[in-house]
Amino acid sequence: MKKILLVLTVTLTSLPVLANDNHRVMDHHAQHEKNQGEMNHDEMNHGEMNHDEMNHGEMNHGPEHSHGSHEHPTENAKEDVMTMSAPAITTTDDITAALANGGAPVVVDVLGVVCDFCAVAMNKIFGKREEVSALYVDLDKKTLSLVVNKGASLSDKDIENLAKKAGYRIAAIRRDAEALGG
Amino acid sequence: MTLSAMRTWVAALGILLSVSAVARPVSYTGGWTFLQTANRASTAGLVHYSISHNVSVGVRHEWQRGDDITLTALQPTLLAKRWYGHNYQANVYLTGGLGTATDRSVASLGSDTASFVGVMTDWETRTLFVSYEARFLEQGKLGNHSMHAARFGWAPYTGDTGELHTWLMLEVDHRKHFDNKTTVTPLLRFFKGPALFEAGYNVTDSAPMFNFTYRF
Repeated sequence: MKKILLVLTVTLTSLPVLANDNHRVMDHHAQHEKNQGEMNHDEMNHGEMNHDEMNHGEMNHGPEHSHGSHEHPTENAKEDVMTMSAPAITTTDDITAALANGGAPVVVDVLGVVCDFCAVAMNKIFGKREEVSALYVDLDKKTLSLVVNKGASLSDKDIENLAKKAGYRIAAIRRDAEALGG
Repeated sequence: MTLSAMRTWVAALGILLSVSAVARPVSYTGGWTFLQTANRASTAGLVHYSISHNVSVGVRHEWQRGDDITLTALQPTLLAKRWYGHNYQANVYLTGGLGTATDRSVASLGSDTASFVGVMTDWETRTLFVSYEARFLEQGKLGNHSMHAARFGWAPYTGDTGELHTWLMLEVDHRKHFDNKTTVTPLLRFFKGPALFEAGYNVTDSAPMFNFTYRF
C-alpha cells in the first residue's frame, strides 16, 4: 500500500514536466525574434506542424523572421504552399445569420480535431464567449468557424488560449475576406 | 527492500512505462464527464471534472463481480502528453486512485484500503484507432489485480460534426487472476455529439460488454 502511494505521489508530482504542452519541441522557434506578427510562434507547436499544408502567405512572420533558421521542404514546395487555397468559413444557418448582422468571420485551422468530443469541447469553450455569435467545428475541414459580434474583438492570442483550454492547438487564423475565401 | 516491495515497484514502473490506450479520461477545462463500463471483470462508473485541459479529478465506483468486491476511490488523471497532427491525435494519460475496497460476499473479508495506478495511450485518426491501457490494483487482504487491454478500431466511413460515427473494434485483454487470462472482445462503437456507446461480446469468456460515456 505504501509503495503504491509513493508511486502515485512521484508520478503525479513529476507529471507537469511531461505535460508542458509541447513547448520543448518548439525550442528552435524560441530563438526567433519575438516580433512574429499576430501569431505567437513561441506557443505554437511548430515541431508537429506540417509546413507543406500551411498557408504561409497568410501568416505574418514579421520583418525579422528568418526562414533559414528552420526547415522548409524545398523552395518549390514553398511555392506550392503559397498557392494552396485554405478552407473558407463553413456556413450554417447560425453563421449566415450572424454574418448578416454584421459579425466578423474568422476561420481557425485546428490541429488534432478527429472526433465529436473534440467538437463538443471547442463548442463549449468558444460558445461561452460573449464575443462569439456563432460557431461551427468542421471535422472534414479541421477548422473552427467563428463569427465575432459586430463591434467586439477576439484576438489571435485569445483564440489560441481558448483552443488550449479546449485541449487543442491552432495552426492558422484567417479573418474577414480571407476567412470568406476571398 | 523486501522482495514483495521490489515486485510492487517493478510492476508499477512497468505500467507507467508502457508505451502503448483507450477513451478520453480528461475533457476540456470545466467539463464534466460520466463514464460507465461493464465487461467480463467488472461494472464501473466514473464521474470526473476537468480542472484544466490536462488534469481531471473524479470519483470511481467499481463492482468486481467475480469476487463480489466493491471499490470506491478518488481518481485523478493527467493527460501527460498529447500529439496534435493535421489528421491525427495521440495521447498518453496517467491515472491513479485511492479509496476503499469492500468484500460483499457471504464469507466477507471486510474492507481494506485500495489504490491503483494506470496508464492509457491512444492514437487515432478519423478512420483508425489504436489504444492500450494497463492498471495495477492493490486491495490489501482483498487481493491485487493487474490488467492490460489493447484495442484496434476502424471506421467504415467518416462522419462529420454531429453525425453518427460508427467504429468496428477489437479488444484484447489480459487479466492474470482469471481462468481465461487473455480474451478477445469484438465490439461496435457509436459516437454522436457528447455521447459514446459501445456494445461488444467477449467471445472467449462469453460475457457482454457495454460502455457509455457522456460529456457535459
